[in-house]
Amino acid sequence: MASVLATPGAIGPVLSVVAPLYNESQNVRPLVEWILQALESYPHAFEIILVDDGSRDDTWEQVRAAAADPRVHGLNLGRNVGQTAAMMAGFDHARGQVIVSLDGDLQNDPRDIPALVSKLEEGYDLVCGWRRQRQDKLLLRKVPSWVANRLIRRLTGVPITDNGCSLKAYRRELLDRIPLYAEQHRFIPALSASVGARIAEMPVRHHARRFGESKYGLSRTFKVLVDLLTLKMITTFRSRPLVGFAVAAIPAFGAALVFGALWLVSLTNFGPEKASALVFPGAGLLSVGAAFYLFMLGLVAEVALSSEPEHLNDTPTASEVR
Amino acid sequence: MAAQGTLMEPSTKPGDTAVPTEPGIVSVVVPVVERTDDLMGVYRAFARELEKRSEVFEFLFVFDGRFAPPAELIALSREKKGVRILRFVREFGETAALRIGIEKSRGDLVLTLPAYFQVQPEGVGQLLDAIAAGADMAVAHRSPRLDNWLNRMQSRAFQRMVGGVTDQQFHDMACGVRAMRRAVAEALPLYGDLHRFIPALALREGYRVDEVPLAQHPSDARIRVYRPSVYFRRLIDIAAFFFLAKFTERPLRFFGLVGSVFLISGAVLSLVLLVQRFEGQGIANRPALLLAVLLVALGVQLIGLGLVGEIIVHLRAPHRRAYRVRERT
Repeated sequence: MASVLATPGAIGPVLSVVAPLYNESQNVRPLVEWILQALESYPHAFEIILVDDGSRDDTWEQVRAAAADPRVHGLNLGRNVGQTAAMMAGFDHARGQVIVSLDGDLQNDPRDIPALVSKLEEGYDLVCGWRRQRQDKLLLRKVPSWVANRLIRRLTGVPITDNGCSLKAYRRELLDRIPLYAEQHRFIPALSASVGARIAEMPVRHHARRFGESKYGLSRTFKVLVDLLTLKMITTFRSRPLVGFAVAAIPAFGAALVFGALWLVSLTNFGPEKASALVFPGAGLLSVGAAFYLFMLGLVAEVALSSEPEHLNDTPTASEVR
Repeated sequence: MAAQGTLMEPSTKPGDTAVPTEPGIVSVVVPVVERTDDLMGVYRAFARELEKRSEVFEFLFVFDGRFAPPAELIALSREKKGVRILRFVREFGETAALRIGIEKSRGDLVLTLPAYFQVQPEGVGQLLDAIAAGADMAVAHRSPRLDNWLNRMQSRAFQRMVGGVTDQQFHDMACGVRAMRRAVAEALPLYGDLHRFIPALALREGYRVDEVPLAQHPSDARIRVYRPSVYFRRLIDIAAFFFLAKFTERPLRFFGLVGSVFLISGAVLSLVLLVQRFEGQGIANRPALLLAVLLVALGVQLIGLGLVGEIIVHLRAPHRRAYRVRERT
């Protein structure tokens, strides 16, 4: 397989390393040094994009100082927009054919970047880091993450062990197809799989936090659960939402049938004076109503879809067979 | 034709030819809606202030259908190139007036003014200074405020209700005196009645918004009492804004929360009924079963609505970015 990296005469960097930063003032310098060291023997041009996500400390000053190196670029978002949007800012400004994202807190090890990139060159669109020996608090970070990863795997069928690891390598074409928003960075593997990306996973190093505070807590459980429902809808029924809603309407319709049957039973067994209580037919009608409503919602979703016919994600990925 | 102002409908078709912007020009957009007095006075006072700062500026008056441009203003617009009048064929409201005003103006700085004196004109330069100092939008904050307690109370209640939702606290979001860069003005999602929330909208689009205290004009301080329907609409506006601010990116977080409350309480009630049924109590003649089914049905429907919202957000994602780059190296 021909490497995309070997485009001769390509202008600009081939590899872009993107790191979102939020209040990471002390980590900026060592991070940049580490990355530069790790990429010392990288054969092509590369760039480092540091995204300051509205830090309230002097992260931006540190980024500016680091940007004295022509390979380092800084983006200041001026306002805290969250990790996904910050990563997206970096991706949008990255010029490389290959993009690597990593956390700005030094917990990921830039020494893993060359390995990720060469794995990508083997013919993958996405290579995910897997923090095999994770250096975080057990109860607050590891357990919820383990549960979330299990759930994502079960629901989407994408066999990735560690969805939360920021250290990932992507092909430009893949990122163009999965516009990220809200807090979707967790679901990058599942979203990628749904557009037909070839995905690999490899173990990476993970360090305990040296400076600064972790910005996560336990409060996300409900949000993640809800997001998972969305993910399922988007990945499975994206181009045919009516099917998804029709499937959801089946149990409601089934319940209506059960209530109808119960009504018939009470009519025949107990006579009309008791059966006229109207509870069973009422419940049956409510269930039919719910089923009908869900089906109609599916139609609304189809209307929404048809207003964006050139939607990126509906274009199948096709590679030429030679 | 020009005598009546241009008759037009507010339309922002993507294909509309954009007016070329000119650097160094301040476009003053004055929506004439709901309340107007002494329009010529407003024009003269603010034009004088801008002239003092030797700004190049244009005035754009947008008349909502109910209001006709006064003859004096029409005469002025014939005489001066920098004074333009637009008139809607019917009432479209302040938000639409602002949007069309922004769209049809060409300055790289947009200054919006109410059609009456809200602040002392002398302070308007401070707004432009704030923009020059790096803000993307500078909004006036009427201070010192001459209002009586009734106006203040209404205003404070409004700020309180909105304040909980925005990242930054604004003292006087309802003040219509605002300066902004053109890019900001064009990025604002101006529809419905959202003009009241312009500072918060700009903030949400990722821009820097500064508040500048400007002295309130005495004529603005008269008692404001509205019809009950106005208060009702204001409350609905706040509810809409609350939803937009919190959940535009993740509608299912909202519908899912409400829906799962219904769904879970319905499920629990069904379970209780089921247990009672096996204990020998009949359920066929008890309305509790109806309630349980209703709750479950409502919960499922709400979650379904949220999912439709999510699909719409997902479809828009390629065109929308939640960040703005303020500075790059």
